[in-house]
Amino acid sequence: MTTYFIRSVAFRHLRYSVGQSLLTIGVVGISVLLIIYLRTIIGGTQTRIVQNTTGAIPHITVEPPERTPVGAWQLANLGIDPDTLYVGEVVNLPKARESIEDWRLWLPSLDGADPAVTAVSPIVTGQAFMNRGSRRQSVRLAGVIPERHNGIVEIEKSLVSGRFIGMSPGDIVLGRKLATDFGLKLRDKVRLVGPEGLTLNFTVAGIYNTGFGQVDDGQVFVTLRDGQSLLELGGSISSFGIKLADLYAAENIARRIAPGLPFKVRSWVVDNPNLFVTLASQGQTRDLILIMTTIASGFGIGSILVMVVTSKYREIGILKAMGATPGEIQSIFVLEGLLLAFLGCLAGVPLGVVLLKALAAIRSVGPDGRVGSPFLIEIDPVLLVGASLVAIVTGAIASYFPARRAGQVDPIQVIRGS
Amino acid sequence: MPQPVVELDRVGKTYYTGDVETPVLFDLSFSIVPGEFVAIVGGSGSGKTTLLNLMGLLDRPTAGVIRVEGREVSHLDELGRARMRRDRLGFIFQFHYLLPEFTVLENALMPCRMRGREFEKSREARMRELLTYVGLEEKLNVRPPQLSGGQQQRVAVVRSLANDPAVVFADEPTGNLDSKSGRMVFDLMKRLSRESGTAFIMVTHDDNFALEADRVIRIRDGRIQAPPGRHEGTELAVAAPEA
Ligand SMILES: Nc1ncnc2c1ncn2[C@@H]1O[C@H](COP(=O)(O)OP(=O)(O)OP(=O)(O)O)[C@@H](O)[C@H]1O
Ligand SMILES: [Mg+2]
Repeated sequence: MTTYFIRSVAFRHLRYSVGQSLLTIGVVGISVLLIIYLRTIIGGTQTRIVQNTTGAIPHITVEPPERTPVGAWQLANLGIDPDTLYVGEVVNLPKARESIEDWRLWLPSLDGADPAVTAVSPIVTGQAFMNRGSRRQSVRLAGVIPERHNGIVEIEKSLVSGRFIGMSPGDIVLGRKLATDFGLKLRDKVRLVGPEGLTLNFTVAGIYNTGFGQVDDGQVFVTLRDGQSLLELGGSISSFGIKLADLYAAENIARRIAPGLPFKVRSWVVDNPNLFVTLASQGQTRDLILIMTTIASGFGIGSILVMVVTSKYREIGILKAMGATPGEIQSIFVLEGLLLAFLGCLAGVPLGVVLLKALAAIRSVGPDGRVGSPFLIEIDPVLLVGASLVAIVTGAIASYFPARRAGQVDPIQVIRGS
Repeated sequence: MPQPVVELDRVGKTYYTGDVETPVLFDLSFSIVPGEFVAIVGGSGSGKTTLLNLMGLLDRPTAGVIRVEGREVSHLDELGRARMRRDRLGFIFQFHYLLPEFTVLENALMPCRMRGREFEKSREARMRELLTYVGLEEKLNVRPPQLSGGQQQRVAVVRSLANDPAVVFADEPTGNLDSKSGRMVFDLMKRLSRESGTAFIMVTHDDNFALEADRVIRIRDGRIQAPPGRHEGTELAVAAPEA
């Protein structure tokens, strides 16, 4: 609560020492600017890292549980016939994974598993060899339903030529690098050899370039049927891929739907533990810098007010002798602190927005050869308000102590000239 | 007899600093009537400033009762005393302590400003008049640092009358001025007292000024000493034993 008297004295103090005031406003402005700038840039970088990591993979993978084979000799531990002696060499038994046969039954329930689910794609995956002329290369084969799989990774949008959605049996869609390596153009023929030696002929129906290394390199797409044939899976699939509207909800949703399914449900989070460590430590560094600048701006406001209060000690005493109450005097200096903080925001927020807009306008050629902004910048109004609030609360706290001291100045001591 | 503006009844003051007791004033009783011009004199350390601070509600007595315009004020809390000072009392100090951020006119109006914009407006014409009266009509809109010491103290004298107080307390208002400026400020105080009907209570070391007061209260070792000769004032002032 302020009065005419409080306001006028506070305004005059700030106006009279314009230099000091501007300096403090500058310090607060820079701290607000830093909060806005760092949060936006680092937030954008993190979003981009996460997008790059998850852009081409399902957020949740549903696959049959692994079967760990147990040797007969190991059964002894289970208490079965402890007296039997096994003769032979101990070998490491490879883990085996089953396929999902009744996937058509599960598909609708996965589609409706959560409102956040945007796509469910049945996938068969395996290794295959691609042959053309004398060239032979191992590729990752994915048999998919294109309409569904495009919801996992947007191949259709990244096509250089041809099509993805609507591909027919016998069609193959592959990355630009692979196509170049094999000298393939649209409608060229290529041969794929399955792990069991089965060979099928394909026609190039589409060539894409997504910018995601995992799909652009050594990956080929065929129809689900063709994939099942090549990998000799009959009618089964290897896994379901699920895409979500909110990729950060993946772990929670995975945990929630897992109990209702006879499958193993994994979120992308579990597959990328290092990413989270990186993001967290990046966030901590950012927060540390922000805390430091906030403290610096607090000290800026606090120290200028300590100076003002000290240099105005006598005037304060006389004002009190003339009838100003401790509360009024205190309000004068808290108001000064708040004004400095507020003016700092008034300078820092637009400056931050302008700086970010300028950065967002920068264009450069990315590693995938596309022209784009090197920064992912989204100006968040909540952040602008939040940064201002931080500065104003800091100003209030920093001015409170010098202000209280001012309120407690004893006019008698001032009059006595001590 | 009109109601006294200030009344002291067996007032005493003892300072307590830790375990140390310093008795300063003993058993003072006197009253000041409206418009009276009183000089308080006495040796250094005799308790003049202490007495003025008690009457001006800046400090509280440790014994006795003080009334301002008939109202007992000894037991008012800090806020109550601040309000009373703001609304009914005026102050002039040895150092003017004008606010350098405000103009001469604004400084003179500062006690009114505390009571709000309306009140300040209502007193502005009167303050212009008084500032003109003390010879500062050219300086209304300049800031105090551009004035001489005597001019600044004249602003302080006008400021002490801003809220149309019942009584003005002045602690050695000429103590920091050369004799010519001091004389000017003193004459102003006397004239303003007479014209506005405001009582002035002034601590001074200058016997010439004391001689020109309506009454002299002489303090010695914390007690009132009988005023010498023709400056015998009210019956209360003479109540002290003859020297
Ligand atoms: N806060 C205090 N604590 C203890 N003693 C004090 C305090 N203030 C004043 N005194 C003592 O009270 C006595 C009277 O002081 P006061 O300032 O009233 O004298 P004075 O008559 O105004 O002197 P001067 O003419 O030098 O201004 C002095 O002895 C002083 O040391
Ligand atoms: Mg004194």
